Amino acid sequence: MISIYFLILRRFIFLALLQGLLFNRFDLFGSFDPFIALVFILTFPIKINRVTFLIISFCFGFCLDLFTNSLGINAAACITAAFVRPYVLNFVFGSFYDPHGVKILKDYVSESTFYQQVLYLSTIVFIHHFTMFSLEAFSLDLTLLILYKTLINSILSLIFCVTLIYIMIENEK
Amino acid sequence: MQQIIDFIFRKKDVVVYFILLLFSIILTLNSNYFHKSKIILLANNISNFTTERFILFYDFFDLKKTNKKLIAENLNLKNKLESLKNKPFIDSISNANFSYQDAKIISNNLSSFKNNLVINKGNKDGLKKEMGVISKNGVVGIITNTTKNYSYLMSILNIDSKINAKIKRTNHFGTLQWNGLNTSYIRLTDIPETANIKVGDSIVTGGMSLIFPENINIGVISKIDKFKNTSTNKKNKRSVEIDSRENYFDIEIKLHTDMNTLKHVYVIESLNKKEFIEIQKND
Repeated sequence: MISIYFLILRRFIFLALLQGLLFNRFDLFGSFDPFIALVFILTFPIKINRVTFLIISFCFGFCLDLFTNSLGINAAACITAAFVRPYVLNFVFGSFYDPHGVKILKDYVSESTFYQQVLYLSTIVFIHHFTMFSLEAFSLDLTLLILYKTLINSILSLIFCVTLIYIMIENEK
Repeated sequence: MQQIIDFIFRKKDVVVYFILLLFSIILTLNSNYFHKSKIILLANNISNFTTERFILFYDFFDLKKTNKKLIAENLNLKNKLESLKNKPFIDSISNANFSYQDAKIISNNLSSFKNNLVINKGNKDGLKKEMGVISKNGVVGIITNTTKNYSYLMSILNIDSKINAKIKRTNHFGTLQWNGLNTSYIRLTDIPETANIKVGDSIVTGGMSLIFPENINIGVISKIDKFKNTSTNKKNKRSVEIDSRENYFDIEIKLHTDMNTLKHVYVIESLNKKEFIEIQKND
């Protein structure tokens, strides 16, 4: 059990620094930063109970906020993503998903179809980005702009997240 | 009562989620206030410190480009100095209204709707709120918050920023606003339709406030639109109030400053600010 928390801490520090120092400076096509830190929430061990998960992801979001000087926006988006994750897992994987976490991430990747994986990742990325941008703009006048930015940024984030997740899984074996 | 407690225990993740969400939204809405609290100040300083060390890498690879830019700027200034030498003597001390300080950008983001920058000078160097920041090519932003070693700027690429500007040729005043998407274009509103403007006219700061001196470059006009009637405006037409914005241009401006590659900036301090504020109070 301690080793799991150690793994989480390692990912926490690595991903927060990666996002804060490197990926916030990408500015692809002018104004899009891929949000790679979401890998932390996407691959969080299922064994750990939901309340702890929420609190840890709040801290994670707060650390990201310090790098962008936007207090609370990343934190809110991260806890929303963490909150919807069990429901999305249940919806996408159905009976294969077990909330007690006997199966690990590798099983989910090896024993599910391509569409399931894409659906799981894209739903959470989209929800996260939508929360983040709507809190940032905080006005209804910009709804179209928010949706447009969410869509483009989600696709970019998805590409980078998938790459990192596959690298991580290759290393685990 | 027992049932309520049972319910909370069963749904404890939902309860925790809403508490945390509420907390982060409060943080967001009062971020200016919380930036001053000690714990967040410390955490911010740590993140700024880390970023400041890390950008040394980036700087190293850009040294050649930076050198070229500096040489070009030096040349430009030398030429200006030569042309001044031929002019009759002007007492420069009594005319100096603004003083400049150089600073370096630590963090700069362009991806959000409300972009902020951090520079490596703060209270210690005499920087205060509401000072203007420019680069070699044009306006960058306004200081919103200072700590001991760092200052936070509101970039011109921020949907909340409103900067007074004018068209250099015709002297019409307007307000600069960003539309939230394209980082090399910005919009100028409140220019009346009677103004005789063309694509390619240059836009400079207006000098109506003491944040920026007059005639600092911002950009050139790239497109001229008439103000569009959106559906919300049409509803208002029924009321007696006439939509006064109908007779104004909505102008797209290409910025001179490339916010992506910005590194060195100048902070402007207005020396007459106290006087100006006192006069305004008397009014």
